[in-house]
Amino acid sequence: MPFRRAHNNWRLCLRLEDLAQAGLTMRRHLQYPLLLAVLIATLAPIYWMLTISLKREVDQFAVPPRWFSFTPTLEHYSDAFLNRSFGQYLVTSIIVSVCSTFCALVIGTLAAYALARLKMPGGLNRKLSLWILSTRMFPPIVTAVPLFLMMRDLQLLNTRLSLIILYTGFNLPFVVWMMRGFFVEVPRELEEAAMVDGDTRLGALRRVLLPLVAPGLAATAVFCLIISWNEFLFALVLTQTDAAMTLPVGIAGRVTQYEIKWGVMSAAGVVAMLPILVFAMVVQRYLVRGLSLGAVKG
Amino acid sequence: MPRLRRFLNAANKKGLGFRVSGFGSDRTLAYLLLAPTLFVLLALSIYPLVHAISLSLQITSGGAARWSLQNFGRLFSDQFFLAALSHTLIYALSALTLEFLLGLALAVLLNRQMRGRTFLRAGMLAPMMLPTVVVGVIWRLMLNPNFGAVNGTLKGIGLNTTALTWTSSPRLAMLSVIVVDVWQWTPFMFLILLAGLQAIPQEPYEAAMIDGSSGWQTFRHVTLPLLKPAILVGLLLRTMDLLRVFDQVFILTEGGPGFATETISLYIYRTAFRFSNFGYAAAMSFVLLLITNIISAFYIRILQARESG
Repeated sequence: MPFRRAHNNWRLCLRLEDLAQAGLTMRRHLQYPLLLAVLIATLAPIYWMLTISLKREVDQFAVPPRWFSFTPTLEHYSDAFLNRSFGQYLVTSIIVSVCSTFCALVIGTLAAYALARLKMPGGLNRKLSLWILSTRMFPPIVTAVPLFLMMRDLQLLNTRLSLIILYTGFNLPFVVWMMRGFFVEVPRELEEAAMVDGDTRLGALRRVLLPLVAPGLAATAVFCLIISWNEFLFALVLTQTDAAMTLPVGIAGRVTQYEIKWGVMSAAGVVAMLPILVFAMVVQRYLVRGLSLGAVKG
Repeated sequence: MPRLRRFLNAANKKGLGFRVSGFGSDRTLAYLLLAPTLFVLLALSIYPLVHAISLSLQITSGGAARWSLQNFGRLFSDQFFLAALSHTLIYALSALTLEFLLGLALAVLLNRQMRGRTFLRAGMLAPMMLPTVVVGVIWRLMLNPNFGAVNGTLKGIGLNTTALTWTSSPRLAMLSVIVVDVWQWTPFMFLILLAGLQAIPQEPYEAAMIDGSSGWQTFRHVTLPLLKPAILVGLLLRTMDLLRVFDQVFILTEGGPGFATETISLYIYRTAFRFSNFGYAAAMSFVLLLITNIISAFYIRILQARESG
């Protein structure tokens, strides 16, 4: 590969070059300290919330901050989930996430299969895939107003059903796009063999293709769970009652109130965070692909 | 499975080939399978969009709605809207720049075989997977002026922190929300760029070494151009998210103090759900949609120009 030397200000470039050169040679010695610094910067705030949720109030307000030496207590957890309504929010969050994920997976996988395997005329496969993806690109606030009015007219405000419907819709493009990618990677011959043996297309999908993409399906499911679990704007707009509120909305409602119970807040925060962390570890391998909707790799 | 494939190949060679794609019902089946998805997306994406357009073009006076461009006309004289617009742009640009530079530096420095890398990746995944509400809680705790870990630590090394009220200071509030976003999303940039770096083949580097180019030259003329698709995708996705920011700011500052961190999404939310002015909110959301579309079209054009060129 030929190199162009098109530097106008060679003096400056030389100095920059030296600096960068030095940086690159130093990186061998720097990498472990750097690694440690990055990890601390990333994880310390999360750990701080964890400690607050386990501290008695005396320790919470201690100056200087107590990172390690405090007497742990679970009182904030029982306060949040037994005395206050956080238990109910948690149940709502679980129901809404699981149901919407299930619906999106069923509907979306069928569509993904059609887009990956069944050729339609006029390049429709590609066009539809792109269109489906593009529906995910709107800023959510754009559809918040009309969807609020729609749910109001359907008398679905303050119901879990409204959130299940909406989250199914939000997750669909994602499921279609991910699953289409997984399907395309499986060689066609495997299904064709099953069909020669007398299986129908959908039979081959169920018995041959789905088992092969099972890890991808699981990863997609986990992504949907995370997206639904974390969603905030629509839950805020559509649910205002304790019976229908999700965990994020419940937490936010308490944060912005005047008197803040930090222990309760953090306890709820930790509970909202834990399933996500577990899930994230499970899908690590698929993560970059999922977050970029497959745009980086293939 | 290899045995199956071998069998199929053998069958094909013996003239026992088959064509499954000739089924006439494939197309019908495709439409059937796609129908539920298309229905849901039409109902939850396209219909609301059309409804929003009609809302934005109507004003209600005295109980009766009539068609008007007034909602759009009002935009340009609304100080709050213009302020929210500029807050959003400042926020997006600062956070994007910081996340990109930090992410790139980390990806380049940590792109090599070493122990603890899986651990690093797992650790860095944590912030971006968290519910934004939890991120908000975490940083309310960290940045609390009196007992937060940030001020506590600064005090510990002997600094005066009385002026550092973070989210409740008009001057520091914007900085606070930017820092929080950088904390949460730099790992994303890092992971995308790292994936991009690892996809670069070894040959250009070997060629560069033979040509005797320095580390910086190699980075400038080999790594950066080959990394460009990953860079563009990372920037595109972050820009879209930053322009529509709502959750973090809502939890951290609620747009305050005063109006200091009010972004477009927050202002739209307030207009619609506090003041019930749905038409004006819809008009503003179209401006936001237009801005994000123009910017993403710009990115995608660069990306495509690269692929074809």
